[in-house]
Amino acid sequence: MNSFRKITTLALFLPLAPLLTPDQAWALQSHGATESIYVHQLAHLFYSAALGYLFWDVGRNAFPGKGWRYLQIFCVLMILWNLVAFSGHWLGFHIADSDIIHPSGYFSSQITGPLSVIKLIYFSATLDHLLSVPALVFLFLSLRCLYRSSDEAEKK
Amino acid sequence: MTSLPLSPAIVTDMVGSLFIIIFSFLSLRYAFLLTKKQPENFLWGFLFYFCMTLAAFAVSRAIGHLLKHILLFSDKQELWQLISPISGGTNTLLMISLAAVTIYYHKGIEGYQAINKKARSLKDAYDQLEVAADQLQGMNLHLEEMVAERTLELSASEKKFRNLFNNSKDMVYFSDSTNQVLTMNGAGFEMLGYPVHGAPILNLLGIFKNEDDLDKYYKTLLAQGFVEDLEVEFAKADGTGTYVLLSATAVYDDAGLFSGCEGIVKDLTRIKTMMEQLAASEKMASVGQMAAGVAHEINTPLGIILGYSQLMMDDFTPESEQGQNLTIIERQTKACRKIVADLLKFSRQSESSREDVSINEILLDVIAVTQHSLNMDHINVHQDFAEDLPLIVGDTERLRQVFVNLVNNAHHAMEKQGAGELTMITRYHPDTHEVVATVQDTGHGIPDKIRARIFDPFFTTKSVGKGTGLGLSVSYGIIQDHGGRIEVESPVAVKKSEEKMPGAAFHVKIPVTLVETTSVRE
Repeated sequence: MNSFRKITTLALFLPLAPLLTPDQAWALQSHGATESIYVHQLAHLFYSAALGYLFWDVGRNAFPGKGWRYLQIFCVLMILWNLVAFSGHWLGFHIADSDIIHPSGYFSSQITGPLSVIKLIYFSATLDHLLSVPALVFLFLSLRCLYRSSDEAEKK
Repeated sequence: MTSLPLSPAIVTDMVGSLFIIIFSFLSLRYAFLLTKKQPENFLWGFLFYFCMTLAAFAVSRAIGHLLKHILLFSDKQELWQLISPISGGTNTLLMISLAAVTIYYHKGIEGYQAINKKARSLKDAYDQLEVAADQLQGMNLHLEEMVAERTLELSASEKKFRNLFNNSKDMVYFSDSTNQVLTMNGAGFEMLGYPVHGAPILNLLGIFKNEDDLDKYYKTLLAQGFVEDLEVEFAKADGTGTYVLLSATAVYDDAGLFSGCEGIVKDLTRIKTMMEQLAASEKMASVGQMAAGVAHEINTPLGIILGYSQLMMDDFTPESEQGQNLTIIERQTKACRKIVADLLKFSRQSESSREDVSINEILLDVIAVTQHSLNMDHINVHQDFAEDLPLIVGDTERLRQVFVNLVNNAHHAMEKQGAGELTMITRYHPDTHEVVATVQDTGHGIPDKIRARIFDPFFTTKSVGKGTGLGLSVSYGIIQDHGGRIEVESPVAVKKSEEKMPGAAFHVKIPVTLVETTSVRE
């Protein structure tokens, strides 16, 4: 249970840490925008690796039931999402400000021509929710299945 | 197409962000329910923390994206520029946290598996214990019934063998390795002449009359483990011996050492007496045949001697020396002829007539003839005749001769005492269909050593001239010719008492219906 508490504490406090940190503290060491995006991209890779590990470990332990298969699908979709998001962030460096125009407000934003492969991939990457939403749906299905199967096991 | 509109991406982003929040919280709900249901399950714990971090990440990212769209719609790009790094940084941190929680799961799952393994083994042990407890409980429930049932069975078995032990007509005994008798049934004590209750402690050393027999018994028992049909003589309490047939089995203890024996002993006295009687009857039969042959051969020359001597007596006066010698020759020849006639009677060579005969009448005739001479020697005659005695088929004269012989023998046995009691008894035994006539005296009795020979021809204890030794032989032959037998008892048992009185009793047993087994030569 001590391990769970540590994880809980870590999970709860880490997101709040930047909010509590004063601006002056950031100045202790110079960190530019590039460094931030690198950290973010590494986080995507780290998250992908963790999901890959989870996928592999669930398969290795051969946990029985549909719930665990759904969790593996979730892992696959989230890894794909990570790769799409990583690509989107990376391609963002190759899209100039002039490549995106706002003729009549934000909602009318367009990627200007001529359309290159990079621009097309970047556009696809902006639709990353087409992977992340199904991934979350499978996570939801997975947990619901696990809950119901545990319920049935208890009844038996 | 010269440009790509980003409006679908904006709509997808906004709607997708909302869905992400919804599904992440729905997932969190089920993860929470799982942990609540099975708090001890590590996997549910992991999934709960994973979903919680994911929900935080989803909220952070969705809010960031929605804020971005809202602020950019409202043309507040500066504000978004301010918030953007915070949102991005938070997302990054939450993503790392999510990855960390997932990686950390590895250690947790190992611990969980170890605990689970222990739990399973404990559960198995518990299940086994439960099964054992159930069995134990079942056994306990039936133990009392089983004990009661077994006790009944044992009791019945013990009773059966106890009855066998107590009611056996043969001796049954158990002895230890020192030959001391540990247990013996009543028949055993009776056989040895000891009281059943209060008998002394016995040892086989004292029971075996001959040391050689005991030695043979003991050696055979040790060598073979059993003794079978060993004929030995046991010493009775009064010092006399009794012949027995002994079978015994050695008993060994847990270490395989000889610890004693259990034996069964059969009294052979009755069988031995029967065997002696059988041997005597065979001997009498052979003697009878021989006597018949001799008598037949002698009878003719004796007749010639008698005839010629009587012819010569006509030539001499009785007072002359020759006449007196011839008288002596005639008398002695007649004596010889009488002996020959007796021998022929013994061997059943003489003529016989059969008719219905009353034993009581024969005995009255005998008493009438002999009473005078008995009274001269102060011998009292007692009669104890059965009134409803059935008739038998027989030769009156010859049967009378039998009883005269028996009375004369009784007279001779008592005459030296100068007094005595002669008792004549008749009885009918319906179970054997026999008439029993007993001639009993109070004389000196018959010693054991000559008892087997008293029916032998020419055997006598009387002084020379008083008996020829053929009386009992002839009587034996006559009674046997009537399908009966003569039994001798000496000393005589007193009725309804264990005491015995001196004297002898001859029991003549004749069947009422004569079975034509013997060749009656009419």
